[in-house]
Amino acid sequence: MSGRRGKQPNRTEPAALDRRPPWAIVYAARDDGISPGLTFLDACPGKVDAEFGAVLDAVAGAPPPAFSGGGKWEAMHGDMGGYYEIRLTGPGREQFRLFCLLENGTDAQLTERGLHKPALAVITGLRKPWRTTLSANDYAGVRKLGDAYLARLPRRVAT
Amino acid sequence: MTRLDTSLHDRRRAERLRDPEYREAYEQASHEIAQTDQVIRTLDALRVEMGVSKAELARRINRNPSSIRRLFTAQQARPELALVAAIADALGAEVRVVPTTPAAKKVVRERAGSDRDPVAA
Repeated sequence: MSGRRGKQPNRTEPAALDRRPPWAIVYAARDDGISPGLTFLDACPGKVDAEFGAVLDAVAGAPPPAFSGGGKWEAMHGDMGGYYEIRLTGPGREQFRLFCLLENGTDAQLTERGLHKPALAVITGLRKPWRTTLSANDYAGVRKLGDAYLARLPRRVAT
Repeated sequence: MTRLDTSLHDRRRAERLRDPEYREAYEQASHEIAQTDQVIRTLDALRVEMGVSKAELARRINRNPSSIRRLFTAQQARPELALVAAIADALGAEVRVVPTTPAAKKVVRERAGSDRDPVAA
């Protein structure tokens, strides 16, 4: 074709990440490859596991700041600021908690973490009898896992 | 650049959904969640449409502005029905329970019948 210009040079900039929902859902893994969140879910009664899955999918489909998760997804405060928890009640009123972090940021930040889109990161879960409370040590254990997960670039997730 | 495989959740869900009990629990939970989410998002959309700020809405129903902000951004779990009804009223709307399809009602009746204790009934 006359007038055609030379071949376009290859673009070096990476394509922008797809930020449209649903976000990804990942399970944080420790250095030994074990994912405490996945282990927790696998040990939950089937109905509770199913409900956790439904809440995660709902939130991933309409991530914060939208209202999502049917009132079972809640931002935590104080020492647990930055974490979100899903609160469910199981058989015998046993209480189940799943602790998550949001993975969002610039394209460069997400790419550095190994993510191709924003994500919900499941860190771990805890269960307790009705009308009891989780201890400061319990929460410290969650944060320890979360800190270890956040310290890794790229992230280590269960596959 | 490392790109993580983030497909585990989808694969796990697909595998679990093969179990009919899991599927029923998942679908029931999803339906309940969707209903709650829709109510809150509809109220927030109505608020925006009417040009009412969260602070103004809170003032109208005599609530702390932070409670309204937390509600609409899912920062607080389990919205109270009384709060939802008050917000609806302040926005010139109302909360209704709408019966679902006859087919759905039939399923509910059948389930109630199979669960009924013959002595107590």
